[in-house]
Amino acid sequence: MSLLAADARAFVAAARKELRMWRRYPLFILGLLFWPIVLPATWVLMGQAYSGGGDARALAAFAERAGTTEFAGFVFVGYAMYMWLSNLLWGPGTALRQEQIRGSLEAVFLTPTSRLVALFAPPISHLPFSLLNFVTMGLTLWLVFGIVLPLGPVLEATVVIAIGIPSMYAIGSLFAASVLRFGETGPIVQLVRGTFVLACGITFPLVMLPGWAQAGAALLPPTYIVADIRTVLFRGVGLGGIAVDLVLLLAFAGLITLLAVWVFRILETSARRRGTLGSY
Amino acid sequence: MTATAAEPAVDARGLVKVFERGRRTFWQRLRGEPDRRERFHAVDGIDLRVERGEIFGLLGPNGAGKTTTMKMLATLLIPTSGTISVLGIDVLARPRDVRARLGAMLSGERSLYWKLTARENLEYFAALYHVPPRQTRARIDDALTSVKLLDRADDYVERYSTGMRQRLALARALLPDPPLVILDEPTVGLDPQAARDLRARVRELRSQGRTVLLTTHYMEEADQLCDRVAIIDHGRIVALDTPGALKRTIRAEEVVRLEIGLADDGAAVLERLGRSATVARSERHNGTLAVTAHCASARDFVPAAFDAARSAGATIQHVEVVPVTLEDVFISLTGRALRE
Repeated sequence: MSLLAADARAFVAAARKELRMWRRYPLFILGLLFWPIVLPATWVLMGQAYSGGGDARALAAFAERAGTTEFAGFVFVGYAMYMWLSNLLWGPGTALRQEQIRGSLEAVFLTPTSRLVALFAPPISHLPFSLLNFVTMGLTLWLVFGIVLPLGPVLEATVVIAIGIPSMYAIGSLFAASVLRFGETGPIVQLVRGTFVLACGITFPLVMLPGWAQAGAALLPPTYIVADIRTVLFRGVGLGGIAVDLVLLLAFAGLITLLAVWVFRILETSARRRGTLGSY
Repeated sequence: MTATAAEPAVDARGLVKVFERGRRTFWQRLRGEPDRRERFHAVDGIDLRVERGEIFGLLGPNGAGKTTTMKMLATLLIPTSGTISVLGIDVLARPRDVRARLGAMLSGERSLYWKLTARENLEYFAALYHVPPRQTRARIDDALTSVKLLDRADDYVERYSTGMRQRLALARALLPDPPLVILDEPTVGLDPQAARDLRARVRELRSQGRTVLLTTHYMEEADQLCDRVAIIDHGRIVALDTPGALKRTIRAEEVVRLEIGLADDGAAVLERLGRSATVARSERHNGTLAVTAHCASARDFVPAAFDAARSAGATIQHVEVVPVTLEDVFISLTGRALRE
């Protein structure tokens, strides 16, 4: 078995271990089903109230800025992105932090497997939960708000998500890396999550931001993912129309992955010098 | 470089690890204030050579530098200076190769996943240790059998006793079939029976031809288990030999521990006791003087001690005659007990 194949097997085992651990806490699944329905639904109801219960002029004003009158769908897609981001910013870092607190991180680092397994496997193990979020929200849109998403655009949105996965998981890994050296990264995660929610057009059209903020948003992968999902779902634009964005997303994935690996290596060496690998 | 059987299992030279004590805040850094953190030598120039096939013990009190040394050998810590070769491989240059040949149990029961079963834990670590898939099941069964946990393999680890978790951590260390096993305080927190069980497993490792390097602050454990022992204190090795040879460095056949009730500072009685034995250690606490004396014959010394106490106006409240132990060696070298 080559080293690469052995590390690939270790990667699968690490992701499987994370899923096994999650499975031992079944109430967590209940939370996954509850929040994706309740929170975006409250935002939609707020939107309905602020627009005078769906007043035509208000909807037209919204469409002028968002490119669609489908504000419930707009909010749900944004919230799906918010949940995905939250999972990725909290999940992998928390998984590494829990390993550190538990004492198992040192045991993992005593093995010959690549350190990158510990960095990238926990984020990947969160993928099924994120997919469950998307499915739950799609069903809520259909069953509660009567919005039926046509199959073709749904499949195209799935392609956007699939292409967005590497860059999103690279972001998650970048934050996880900092745990090795700094331990608690909660406050930084809160800060970054808030910035992403504000800058990436999660709950409102990006044109509402000042020009300089829009320029900043163009450097963040979630901006493209959320905008492109909305575009294919609600504006009838095919994948060809967003091809440039998709290429950009892949480029982001490569860059952020390299950055995450570089940061991880530096912080791991620092942790091995300072003895913080096993610190509480 | 390829490891050969002639090379020692561990060869460390001039090993130093310096940590910083205290904090340097972000604002202190930003303002460019001088770094006032104290530099603390956790390991202060250790030379260590562990031969293949032996059980080698690092014996010392808490904070002596045992765990720091182990972590440097296991690639978890980068030494401040010095060189380490494990099985002929340079730890700093090729840490991954070292880890592939090393079974380590450093943080014991904490290092396991309590919400997984023993088998699930070992399946995960077998993959991390790059155990070939076809050998995984057999390797796990062998490891569980060797620590007598095969019948509980499918129980969650949270339902295990502390001793069982320690044994499972040892089983994990055996997964890569390592020629060198390092164990940090393997019996700490175990009841006497569980500790005996674990020591028996450690002896089996040696009979299988493996080298075992362990740390302990239990002198009996080092005495019973180890072929050679390095006594470590304040980051330095203060003695290194077989347990028997170390005990022979105490020029005494017997050790007498006395508890003497007195009203003064005890100087007079200590002076008198010193005429017929070597006073290795004395400690005054609440009007009682605890004395450890090394002597050629307790039969001769004890009556002399009673006379000495009486003439100094003191009363001997307790007498205990014990054979020389590694604790006495530690006391004679450092003036302190292992548990202080």
